[in-house]
Amino acid sequence: MAEAQSPYKAPKRYHSQYPEMGTGPVPIEPYVSADYYALEVEHIFKRTWLYACRVEEISQPGDFLVVDLPACDTSVVVVRNAEGGIGAFHNMCSHRGNKIAYDERGSVDSFTCRFHGWSYKLNGDLAFVPDRDNYFDIDRSCLGLSAVQVDEWQGFVFVNVDPEPEETLAQYLGDLGAGLNGYPFAATSGKAHRFETVVKANWKLVKDAFQEVCHTPYQHRRSLPDAYQNGENPHTRLIDMSVVGHHGRASLFGNVNHVPSPVAAHAYAHGSTIVSAALGDEQAEELAAPGVNPTGSRDWSYELLVFFPSFFLAVARGSYFVHQFIPLGVDQTLWRSMICYPAPKNLAEQFSQEYSRVMFRDIMCEDGRQIEETQAMLKSGAKQTFILKDEELLIRQGLFEGEQMINERRNKQGRKA
Amino acid sequence: MSEGLPEGFEDLEGWLNWSLPTMLERSGRRSASSMAELQVFYDALLPRIQDALAYLSKIEVGAGAAADQRLLNLTKCLAEVAPAVELFAEPVISYGYDVERFRVDPE
Repeated sequence: MAEAQSPYKAPKRYHSQYPEMGTGPVPIEPYVSADYYALEVEHIFKRTWLYACRVEEISQPGDFLVVDLPACDTSVVVVRNAEGGIGAFHNMCSHRGNKIAYDERGSVDSFTCRFHGWSYKLNGDLAFVPDRDNYFDIDRSCLGLSAVQVDEWQGFVFVNVDPEPEETLAQYLGDLGAGLNGYPFAATSGKAHRFETVVKANWKLVKDAFQEVCHTPYQHRRSLPDAYQNGENPHTRLIDMSVVGHHGRASLFGNVNHVPSPVAAHAYAHGSTIVSAALGDEQAEELAAPGVNPTGSRDWSYELLVFFPSFFLAVARGSYFVHQFIPLGVDQTLWRSMICYPAPKNLAEQFSQEYSRVMFRDIMCEDGRQIEETQAMLKSGAKQTFILKDEELLIRQGLFEGEQMINERRNKQGRKA
Repeated sequence: MSEGLPEGFEDLEGWLNWSLPTMLERSGRRSASSMAELQVFYDALLPRIQDALAYLSKIEVGAGAAADQRLLNLTKCLAEVAPAVELFAEPVISYGYDVERFRVDPE
């Protein structure tokens, strides 16, 4: 009877709820096939809302940021316009196609092409053409920058290069997005610590490393010896997990009796850290959001949200972190991360955040090596499939969702043709 | 004093060359040090970190003197070294990704 009382000891709690996804091995081919990658580009990345940046990164009129999206065959400029709104444009001059912004980020009054000096207002309108008299039939009203669909959710800016997206951003994020209403994202975004690296691996393989936590007792046995497991839950089983629309989510177990190392304890004393103990009996404003710790568990430590295709969000008390997986090719991914906190008020809080930043990076070091070593074997042909256990449901769901999206959109195209 | 630590922390001034301003420099110091060197630094800093943080907690971001910033950078170096000493028992994470491949924010 004692066995049954612990929710972490009951095996296979999730897959039975999603019989359409099956339980069998999943194919490795989507991780190595150039043909499959081409389908993902056409039917997923060019048709879907993709995270671009936080609003804080472009807080003043004229602040801009360039997001290179090779999987959409474009580079996008996201800019705060004169009216305070956010616009997005293909980074391409109307004259002869040069990029209008070479810098990754900056602040401008207008965009001026370095090639022949055509310039554009922050709203994308063509403002000035040098030696205009010498061109033929210049109609400024239709020679502005080409707009990209852009929208904002909780201060996260998303773009969609499809001129007519099938769903609005709110529809796309659906109940999973809505469930986070009430989480204090603005207050918790005062200080973002960013990392990025180019990993030699398919974007899904990088993502998969964060879609399950059952590798923690092995891959992170030194960095996270007791934060997310204990004697009652030795395999880091989740509190709860579900598929919500296109996306997946899970509540991560934390060990209420986690003992921080000496320096970690000093860091805890001056702010939140990456390795925080479980909730216990504490109450916090962050937890008012219905989608955060929805089962109300006192073992709760993080809410993991995996927005299809490539945006990962983990929220905790007083901090959240993001992983973004930007495909650069079938076996190369720009892995961008940030861990966000309220702006530090004093220098001791800066120390506290530094400790978290170091731990976050060291944990990513453990993941990053495994990701590349795995990818290096996938084309060997020695194995054609991965075996997934119940707690690896979201890996299956991501593959399933991608395949469904590709098939539906191919079928629609077929009917049109 | 213009290149030292705040009053009360003179005993740590022998460690000023570990007061490094960027994460890249601090992680570089960790990688380039032996475990014995990291342990000596850790053992020297740990008994003083509580006092250092009590002092630093009274200084608002942007309001500190140069000596305060040096003390902060020294504590940040302890944050960098701590996982090596407390968790990994080695300066560089074996079987890990090359830390230099991460691009980090400028400080």
